[in-house]
Amino acid sequence: MHRFIYETMNKLLSIGQVAKLLGVSIDTLRRWDLAGRLRSIRSGPRGHRFYNQSDIDQYLKEIEIVALNWAKSINPITLNPDVYYQTRDVFQVRLEKLQSELSKIAPIEVVSLITAVAGEIGNNSFDHNLGSWPDIPGVFFSYSVRDRKVVLADRGQGILTTLKRVLPELVNFSEALKTAFSETISGRYPEARGNGLKFVRSIIVKNPFSLFFQTGDAQLSLKKDDVELNIQQAENIIKGCFAVISFEELL
Amino acid sequence: MKIELKKFGTILVSRPAGKEAWLAFQPVLKETQPVEKIIVDFAEVVVLTPSWADEFLTPLKNKFKNNVELINTDNPSVKATLSILAQPFKM
Repeated sequence: MHRFIYETMNKLLSIGQVAKLLGVSIDTLRRWDLAGRLRSIRSGPRGHRFYNQSDIDQYLKEIEIVALNWAKSINPITLNPDVYYQTRDVFQVRLEKLQSELSKIAPIEVVSLITAVAGEIGNNSFDHNLGSWPDIPGVFFSYSVRDRKVVLADRGQGILTTLKRVLPELVNFSEALKTAFSETISGRYPEARGNGLKFVRSIIVKNPFSLFFQTGDAQLSLKKDDVELNIQQAENIIKGCFAVISFEELL
Repeated sequence: MKIELKKFGTILVSRPAGKEAWLAFQPVLKETQPVEKIIVDFAEVVVLTPSWADEFLTPLKNKFKNNVELINTDNPSVKATLSILAQPFKM
């Protein structure tokens, strides 16, 4: 009886089980634990890490985890209508709602620039995948005004595929990501445009915002005053794009 | 002639919306002399991105060259967009 109550009220998961559930490595979970991002419970004589099932359930509901899992899964879950926008028109309506909600708590600089960055990243997904979505059309778009973050994701072709059409010499995701954020180049040949992500970079580095952006196995972390692009190898591959915009420091 | 951008909306972000604005405005622009001064007023625009601007401001500048003048460009996203467009504008 005692044991039954313990297990149902406070079920513990091993670090291996949690790694599988969240789709990250055990090393990542150790790092997250040390950084306070996802705390474990140390148990047993050797101090093994365990996690409360309820903490993991809560974590899986966080918007960037939902978006990331949707973007990288082979068989993704069906998203709720309040975070999934199949066409540009419905995305625009949600973007206007973000602008309106931010206006209640933030100065015009934040409202204007964060909405512009989210609008540019979201519209990029539609610009480059219209008529060519590999499986599910549209974008994941959600935000938490409380947590000061906006999350976007798509299951599109990704930046490497798009840019390779005009730059066949590009060989990996990392180079493609660097090119997209530093050169004016359009994957929509013959259109001579494509400064959307350069615009995003210019805003992030001049303001107290930060951006996490992943395409393929390359991930970029960008923040205020960054001069170089910090691009690293990701643990998982996302065929399309995944972005988290944070603006916590300004408010 | 004065173009009040707020009449196209206050959140001007996507390429199709910019292209549509440009096309919708053609009948008015056709009646405008190439030497006439074009004032683009950004008053009350809350959000602008290069995607929208590329479809409207860039062709406007190509057509009317140095006769295009921009006013009320204080909004942060308007400033950020104008600084990244390839075309220099008179303000």
